[in-house]
Amino acid sequence: MAAVAKVIDLVKNYYLEAVVVRALRGVTLTVNQGDFVALMGPSGSGKSTLLNLLGCLDRPTSGQYFLGDQDVSEMDDDHLSEIRSRYLGFVFQSYNLLPQYTVVENIEVPLVYQGGRLDESTRAHCIRMAELVGLGERLDHRPMQLSGGQQQRVAIARALVNSPHVILADEPTGNLDSKTSDEIMVLLTRLNQQGKTIIMVTHENDIAAWARRVVHMRDGHIESEQKNPPRPLPELKGSLAVAIGDWPELKRL
Amino acid sequence: MLSIRDFVQTLVLLNLGGLAVFFGIMLFVAKGRRNIVLALRSLWLHKLRSFLSVLGIIVGTAAVIALMAFGEGSMQDALEDIKRQGATNVIVRSVKPPDNSTSQKRTFVVAYGLTRQDHERFLTINSVVQSVPMRIFPQEVRRLHRMVLGRVVGTTADYQKVNKIDIAKGRFLLDADNYEDEGADNYMRNVAVLGSDIAHQLFPFEDPVGQTVVLQSQHYVVVGVLADRMPTGGSGGSQAAEDFNKDVYIPLRTCWARYGSRIFVRQSGSRSAEQVELHQVTLTISDMDKVRGAGDAIRDQLEQNHAKQDWAVTVPLDRLEEAERAKNRYTLLLVLIASISLMVGGIGIMNIMLATVTERTREIGIRRALGAKRKDITLQFLLEAMVQTAGGGLLGLGLGLTAVYGIPWAYTQFTDKTLPAQIVQMSIFLALAVAVDVGILFGWYPARRASRLDPIEALRHE
Ligand SMILES: Nc1ncnc2c1ncn2[C@@H]1O[C@H](COP(=O)(O)OP(=O)(O)O)[C@@H](O)[C@H]1O
Ligand SMILES: [Mg+2]
Repeated sequence: MAAVAKVIDLVKNYYLEAVVVRALRGVTLTVNQGDFVALMGPSGSGKSTLLNLLGCLDRPTSGQYFLGDQDVSEMDDDHLSEIRSRYLGFVFQSYNLLPQYTVVENIEVPLVYQGGRLDESTRAHCIRMAELVGLGERLDHRPMQLSGGQQQRVAIARALVNSPHVILADEPTGNLDSKTSDEIMVLLTRLNQQGKTIIMVTHENDIAAWARRVVHMRDGHIESEQKNPPRPLPELKGSLAVAIGDWPELKRL
Repeated sequence: MLSIRDFVQTLVLLNLGGLAVFFGIMLFVAKGRRNIVLALRSLWLHKLRSFLSVLGIIVGTAAVIALMAFGEGSMQDALEDIKRQGATNVIVRSVKPPDNSTSQKRTFVVAYGLTRQDHERFLTINSVVQSVPMRIFPQEVRRLHRMVLGRVVGTTADYQKVNKIDIAKGRFLLDADNYEDEGADNYMRNVAVLGSDIAHQLFPFEDPVGQTVVLQSQHYVVVGVLADRMPTGGSGGSQAAEDFNKDVYIPLRTCWARYGSRIFVRQSGSRSAEQVELHQVTLTISDMDKVRGAGDAIRDQLEQNHAKQDWAVTVPLDRLEEAERAKNRYTLLLVLIASISLMVGGIGIMNIMLATVTERTREIGIRRALGAKRKDITLQFLLEAMVQTAGGGLLGLGLGLTAVYGIPWAYTQFTDKTLPAQIVQMSIFLALAVAVDVGILFGWYPARRASRLDPIEALRHE
């Protein structure tokens, strides 16, 4: 299988006034097309730091990072922004929707920064994304009017809208109850089944169990790695279940 | 001065053109429209705050538009006045010299002023194309039992041309009234042309033309009546305001023949006599550029030929320059006031934008994560500042126009006087352009600061 993201001997140091925090101390990892990777480990082990580097939000102190066949470790800020807008999708713990925007408008944001035109067809595409996550009825709602699970579904729709190569999720269920967490995890699993590459940070075993690969980190190192067998998806109820049930065989999401 | 003005105008137009192109493109391109709408929406989210923060801009632009209108209004007023006096004219007047012999003043006949020789000498100056000599003195004008204290003006036909006066009925004096040979029909005719006021008072019910009036027991045939005439001078001029509507115009020659060289004037009970050949000569100069030279030449002549300072030369064009200087001083003051208020307005904008950026740090982080480049963030906040100040500019324009129309109206209501105001088109462009410029200038730093935020830290911001 083709490697989508590949980091080699990645080091990240934070230089504070008196001390140097060595957040990553040489991480080598290959994520293949269609992988569903969970990064696990105790707090402070460098999970978020690694995810941010994979997400091109930061640059490593040393080491290399290939996204597809591009070396992104040396790219400048504008170039990294470009990479984020074309190839990456983000899902955050605290949803991070823009409160002044409606559901569709939030989903549209990544397209705004792609530099292309915004017209009826892009708007229709955004609406389709909202429908995929079961929010077709709530296009004009504001984030404040939605539950946490619904907000996270908007965030996932937003992460899908630019057909990214990789979806990066930092504790996507961290703010949700277990039932809603299951919904989100089913959604992510279904996306993975459609061929989406997902890298997710979590410190919960339950959540990590959804992933195919679990990478354990400690003190800025990768300690070990395990593979999970595929598991049956639980029955869902509500709008999301209907939406997912209707999913066609998605070729290009 | 003119070149600086042109330069500033060009600058303003270029500036405005640039902004117009910018907003034009923004409005034309769907994405730009969207950005403007989103900027408006962000501002609308904090209506009161946005309004308060552009208050300085509103006041600044309103002040520029209103004050420039009032400045221009009074300038136009002065110009109008000068035009009435004639911009190419030089006015030479006789002035009673200060009296030294106080003890015997009653018995003296004071002789002073311009003479016929003076007048002839004026005509030798090349640039003088026309000259109107005048004798002017107060006089009782009678018609049957009616009597009005008016003013006799002995002059020539050219008076009409120089002063651009309109005839209501009949005709003005003719050359023939003055220059006909001895023995001819017209020689020293007793004809008179009446000012509108005096005509109305002496002939309330009939047409004065063809009737007679009496000046010092001499009968004069009324040949014409003038239309109402605006008084000149008064506002900032060296001359006192003159009321022309009580004038009685008679041929200068007739005046000399009937009154002789001495004129007896009754004033507040006491009688005095003066010996003045000409009270005023209004000279028309061929060219605006030659007016000052002619004025100097006339002064030289008079200085050589008069022992006393019994004359005065007024060049209305000087007043034009005086008015222009006053206007420039006023404009400078205005620029100062406007700069300060726009500066304060700009600082208000900057303050609010900095607060906004802090408040929306997380939003900035989200946008950066979703692919926004630094320049996208800069543009977003800059556009917000620009839209805000443009809105402030428009509100200021409204306020300014209200002031330009409202204040003179209220002033007239309360004082019965008029307050001249004339909107300067350029000031509208200037005010709007500067308002948006202030947005760019003071929005720049907060916008740039927003764009420099580290995406990860911004995302972590609460
Ligand atoms: N911006 C930063 N400045 C300084 N130290 C940091 C910064 N971000 C993370 N760290 C440090 O790097 C280490 C790894 O952090 P992080 O990747 O957030 O851990 P995790 O997500 O696994 O809890 C921690 O010791 C943390 O304190
Ligand atoms: Mg973390």
